[in-house]
Parts: sequence; structure tokens; C-alpha cells
Amino acid sequence: MKRYLSNKWAIALFIAPALILFVGFVFIPIVQVFYYSLFDWDGVNKATFLGLDNYVKLFGTSAFKVANLNGLKFGLLITVYQIFFATLFALAVTDKRVPFRKFFRTAYFIPVVLSVTIVCQLWVSIFDADHGLLNTLMDRLGIEWRQNWLNGRYSAIWAVAFVNAWQWMGYQFALIVAGMKSIPQDFYEAAELDGCTTVQTHWYMTLPLLKDTYNFCLLVSVTGGIKAFTEIQIITRGGPGTATNTLAYIMYRQAFVTHKYGYGLSAAAILVLECLVVILILNWLFRDREAVKVPKKGRVMA
Amino acid sequence: MNKKKELRPIERRHRGPGAVIFSVLLWLYAVISLYPLIWMIFYSFKSNEEIFVKNPFGPPISWQLSNYVNAWTKYDVPLYFKNSVIVGVATVALTIVCAAMFTFAVARLRWRARESARTFIALGMFIPVQAIMVPLVKTVSNLHLMNTYLSLILPYAAINLAFACMVYYGFFKTIPTEMEEAACMDGATIYQTFFHVMVPLVAPATITILIYVFLSAWNEFILANVLVGTTANLKTLPLGVLFFQGQFTTDWGSMGATMVIASLPAVLIYCLFSEQVERAMTVSGAVKG
Repeated sequence: MKRYLSNKWAIALFIAPALILFVGFVFIPIVQVFYYSLFDWDGVNKATFLGLDNYVKLFGTSAFKVANLNGLKFGLLITVYQIFFATLFALAVTDKRVPFRKFFRTAYFIPVVLSVTIVCQLWVSIFDADHGLLNTLMDRLGIEWRQNWLNGRYSAIWAVAFVNAWQWMGYQFALIVAGMKSIPQDFYEAAELDGCTTVQTHWYMTLPLLKDTYNFCLLVSVTGGIKAFTEIQIITRGGPGTATNTLAYIMYRQAFVTHKYGYGLSAAAILVLECLVVILILNWLFRDREAVKVPKKGRVMA
Repeated sequence: MNKKKELRPIERRHRGPGAVIFSVLLWLYAVISLYPLIWMIFYSFKSNEEIFVKNPFGPPISWQLSNYVNAWTKYDVPLYFKNSVIVGVATVALTIVCAAMFTFAVARLRWRARESARTFIALGMFIPVQAIMVPLVKTVSNLHLMNTYLSLILPYAAINLAFACMVYYGFFKTIPTEMEEAACMDGATIYQTFFHVMVPLVAPATITILIYVFLSAWNEFILANVLVGTTANLKTLPLGVLFFQGQFTTDWGSMGATMVIASLPAVLIYCLFSEQVERAMTVSGAVKG
């Protein structure tokens, strides 16, 4: 039996396709990000070694500051929006006393399955200054608040972040619902016997028990801010001016528009490092301090 | 019976103003979440005049089916649709084959570096696509894959491997070792054991992965944009939709129709298999970050 399960040829054959694919299209590229960020490289000719010059140059630009600030704003909006609504609605649809639970679940989740380009295009037409749904609505209601939503120097980043928050709220909602369903029912019966109100039960029991779920939700939305790219690329292209630049967008522009690959990759490297720092901080904040262990059985998938 | 009786006092306590506000909020957000989509479907059936002037909000008064005809005949939608299907199906197939074989070797076979190999692939979960897109484009063009479907399929499969292996691992680990022992006794080779014993046993995981990977390939934008964004005949639907960018004021109806056609498969999959889709999307939440 032991020989049967340690057949060298079989092992090599089974792991080779996945390893080749992963090494070729994920591992080598991520190593190259860090490697070429140390070079002056146009993507075609020979690269010249610069050391940390790209980074020094990047840190000195105002675009870098704007990009990080935008990442922060983007992350802040989507984190607060998504976690707040997702928690509220998850509590609602897991509460047997609320009618139309199935409908709400579908309604909140459906934007998640749409393509991000469709969602962006849709919100572009909603935010459109001349014919957009939002401004038309304001007009019809007689509210004098027409805005050029996507072209405001200060408002644009929030509008763009809102699009992301709107689309992915349902994702965090589904995560939290899944977490709540894994809490054993007798916990609630016990809380009820102790005379807890619904609010107390959730505040002191449900939410603390969902620690790991919230860790993951925060990880997704905070790094979502750092990684913000698609909405920017489709909706504002970094504009007006550089008002909606983000790290990923700087990298994209530098590499594919101005062909400064090495410089662009230094922005990519910073992006990866920032995400890593966020993960470490969150894991530290959410570390197990006491021996309160959630029964993990219900969390095994399927 | 007993339980119902106990619940009643709490029920009564919460019929107050709080509960009313709460349910208003639930309905309000359902509108915010759904109305943009309904509005999109409405305007895909409207003429420009109706969209902009006569009837921007409600259902179409005169139904313009010609928008769909235009989308299908004038704007290359069938081509984008075909590309999306090819890329989606091939990505799913490749991901599932690679991940199932790899995870079988890691979870069931006995060799020294198996834990390190598993961790290595799992690292993929933490690598943002945004960060690697520049070297990825270089890699794809160095391999002379530009202008082929493989330029999308291989990177897509690679970035989905970490997720797929994670899901499979949970399943492969729960299978009792007696399975291999019995198969071995019956004289099956290790390959036969894998294909005829193991693969059917992990079918639920395969379905989860299938749904997740298909949806993410169907909707993917970041890599598609840099890999086939300039190759007209390889564009997938998410890129095709952007064709209208900048010129949509001239033909909103057809743009709406294109977006509806592009969303239909994903929405349909969700409506038919909502439980599985939600599970597939949330499985990654069960790993500790």
C-alpha cells in the first residue's frame, strides 16, 4: 500500500500540470514584479540596473500621495458601506420572523454575478451629467442638486468607490449569512432563556462569534481599496486630472502608456507590500486572545 | 410546539417602530440594488426619445425589439459571446483537471514535499491580479500566445488554481483511506483509482469550482483588457460592452440590449442554482485569511 501511494511517476504526473501553470503564469510574474522594479526598462530593450531609484522617484511624486490617499478613501467607503449593510441585512435574512427573506437574499446578491464592466457602464449612465438617471430624477423631483458626479475633483473618487461598494455588498452579505448559519441554534435558545433581547444577542454573541468572517470581509474590502483599478480604468481613467489615480492605475499607465515598465512595476511592488501589511495587521488584530473557540464544524464547506 | 410558545414574547416586543424602520430599510435597499438592473432592462427596449425625454424611469411604452436586433447584427455581440463561451468553458476544464490531479497528489499520495507544494499553490490566493498583469503580458507574448484563446485561458486557469485546490483539499481529506486500499486490492492502478474512485467522490467540490471559475472567467476584465483589448476578434463580452464607451449617447437602446445579453448567462445561472452560486462565492471566506 505504501508503495502504491508513493509511486514517483504518478506523483510527478499529477502535480506537473498545476505546477507548470502556476509557476509560469503567477509565480514567475510576481517575482518579476519585484526584480524589474529595480531596473530602468522599456519592456523591449535591455534593462539597466537602478537599485532603488524607481522607488525613490515614486515616493517623491505627488501622484503617489494622491494614489495612496485615494486607496484609503476607496477602501474606507467600501469597508464601511459593505460591512454595515451586509451585517444588517444578514441579520434580517437569517431571522425567521422577517418575511420575503428569499427575495431579499436574491435582490442583495444579484449585482455580484454581473460583470464589473456592465456594472460600471450602468453607473456611468446613471451618473451621466446630461442624461443620467440621477440628474433626471433630481429634475423631476424639483431638487436643485444636479451634479457632474464623475467629473468633480473631490466627488469623483467617492462616486467610483460607491460603484464598487454597490456591486460587492452582496458578496460580504453572503459571507456573513454563511457565517451566521454556522452558529448552532442552541446558542440562540440559551440566549433567549437568559432573557436577552435580539439586539443584545447579536451584539454580544453573533458578532463576536463571526470574528473570522469579519477578518476575511475586512481583508477583502481594505485590500480592495489598495487594489482599486477596474472602476477607475473604465469610469474615470484616473481623471479629472489625476484626481482618481490609484497605485494599480499608475502602474497600468506607466507600463502600457508611457512604457516605463520598471517604474510602473515599483508601484505594483508597493501595492503587493501594502496588501501584505494589511493582511498581517488584520490577523494580528483578530488573533485569538482568549480561549473562546467557535465550533468550526459548521464552517466546513458544503 | 414548545419552541413557538417561547418565541412569542420577543416577537411582540419587536413589532414596534424599530421593526418598521428596519423593514422599510430592507425594501429601500432592495430597490437600490435591483432598480438599476430593471432600469437597464427597460431601456434596452426603448428608443432614445423615450429614454431621455418621454419616459426615463418606467417600463417601455413602445417596445423596441430592434435594439436587440441591432446589438446582435451591428455590434459583433455574437462574436464576443462565442469568445466568452470558449474562454469560460476551456478555463473551467483546465482549472478542474489541473487542480483535481494536483490536490489528489497532495492530499492522498505520500511524498515528502506535499505540504510545501500545497502552501506554494495556496499563495496564489494572496497575489493581486492587478500587480502581476504587466509581467503576465510579457510572458504571454514571449510564449507567442498573443492572438490566441490560450492567451486568456492559461492565465485564467493559473489564477484560479489556488482557489480550486483549496476547495478540493477540503473534500479529498474527508475521504477514508479504505477507498484506495480497496481499489488497490482490486488491482486498480493509481490512475484508475483517481479517475474512477476519487473523481466521482469529489463531484460536489467540482460543481462549486465549476460555478465559481466560470463566473469569474465570464466576468473578468483586468487581464482581458491588457491581453486581448486590442485584438478585435478575441474580445470577450466584458470588453465588448465597453465598445459603446464614449459614443453611447447615440444609441443607448442597443447598448442596453448588449448589456442585457451579456448578463443573461450569469444571472440565469444564479437564478437556477442560487444556493450553489452563493456557496461557491463564499467558500473562500472559510479559509482563515
